[in-house]
Amino acid sequence: MTDQLYWHPDLLRRFVPTPYVFSKCDGPTRLFVESNDLEIALSVRRSDIVHRQGKRVGKLLCKLIRDVAGPADGSEITIVSDGALRILYLGRGTILIHDHERSELLGFIAPNVTVRELVSSLIPALLDA
Amino acid sequence: MSVVSIDQDALPYSMELCFAGAACDLRTNSFQLARVLKSLSISTDDAVPSGFNMRVVVNESSDEDAGEPHFRGLHHVVTAFFGSSNVFVFDILRRTVSASVSVATARDDRFWKEKLIPIALGVLGSAMGLVPVHCACLELQGDGLLIAGVSGAGKSTLSVALSKSGFNYVSDDWTYISRLGEGIVAHGTSAPVKLLPDAVEHFQNLQGHRLQRSMNGELAYEVDIEEAFGAQVERACEPRWLIFLERTQQAGAIFTPMSSAGARSYVSSSVERLPPQLHEAVAMREQTIGRVALLPSWRFRYGGTPQFAAKELREFVAHRRQEAYV
Repeated sequence: MTDQLYWHPDLLRRFVPTPYVFSKCDGPTRLFVESNDLEIALSVRRSDIVHRQGKRVGKLLCKLIRDVAGPADGSEITIVSDGALRILYLGRGTILIHDHERSELLGFIAPNVTVRELVSSLIPALLDA
Repeated sequence: MSVVSIDQDALPYSMELCFAGAACDLRTNSFQLARVLKSLSISTDDAVPSGFNMRVVVNESSDEDAGEPHFRGLHHVVTAFFGSSNVFVFDILRRTVSASVSVATARDDRFWKEKLIPIALGVLGSAMGLVPVHCACLELQGDGLLIAGVSGAGKSTLSVALSKSGFNYVSDDWTYISRLGEGIVAHGTSAPVKLLPDAVEHFQNLQGHRLQRSMNGELAYEVDIEEAFGAQVERACEPRWLIFLERTQQAGAIFTPMSSAGARSYVSSSVERLPPQLHEAVAMREQTIGRVALLPSWRFRYGGTPQFAAKELREFVAHRRQEAYV
């Protein structure tokens, strides 16, 4: 048994480094943005995402991964809502999850989805649904 | 844009199920799916303390088969797509599976038996006190034998050979371990035994079966061990020993005692890395792994057929039982 045996590939991409970290205060809410993509991180920070959370205050954590290895397929948006989670997916490669109890927005963004589409269309569709 | 709302009131079929000792509260809008999952449920007296919820909406307008899997995960959430019409969301903190699937997937019992149920146990297990360990498990007169080893070491062929020589079969590849009192319980699922193509050299009746592409892409025979080999199946047992299997070119068999630290290291290596948000699940898992590592452990190096290894292992277990009960 060697050390190599113990190595696990990150197949779920749970541990992709997210070096672009920003935070800002917007009224009573503090927004934290983490991403592996600078353009995504900056655009989400600039967006009005906090106001789309409704009346909730406190914090909102957004962790968004540009998934260059993900499939770039499908054009239909589907939203699945179950309890505290609301999930938006576009094909198999783009999936956004909003946990409103934990105030977290998590997601993987397929390579064919533009930052503009993400910020002006997909995130609002998820939070406003 | 389509919106699927998983509203419990809109899911009329509700039942309590059990998989590998984990209670499952199923709610769905499909009678057919409820029937498929009920047929896979195995009740046990040694259930883990906390189970999970599964809410599945079957989309009547989609008849697409389950395709290749695509997994992603962040924090406490894991997602799995099987083609574009079947999406599963696992919420580990809340121990919940939410899904939207096609009609074809709902009625595909192999999909639930071989893929979804083992995946759900693997993803949510740590939050339920159920640790998936990469090992086979056999049982003889109430005593469980865990057989660990890297892929290709021969766990599955040895499991079949042992089950043909008096052992009861629990699992051949992944075993789900929970704590019970001061001890541990090993659980199997109804997943089929997976044998690589060269197993046909040792088990002639595999010639009547078809090789299939398994989820990791390997070609393998995936057979029901009861039907294919007439094995006796036990769904749970109390493990007494842990064996680390190593196949060598040199004929013969040798057992070497192994340290608890070595055993712990191996078992820890077979569980997936979890993010910091799941620290409580990690702590619970560590306690279970610690108990597995306290089992008397041996490295078993052998060269020869699975039948030869089974004979050696059976004699070894008989000696250990004598020592324990004298």
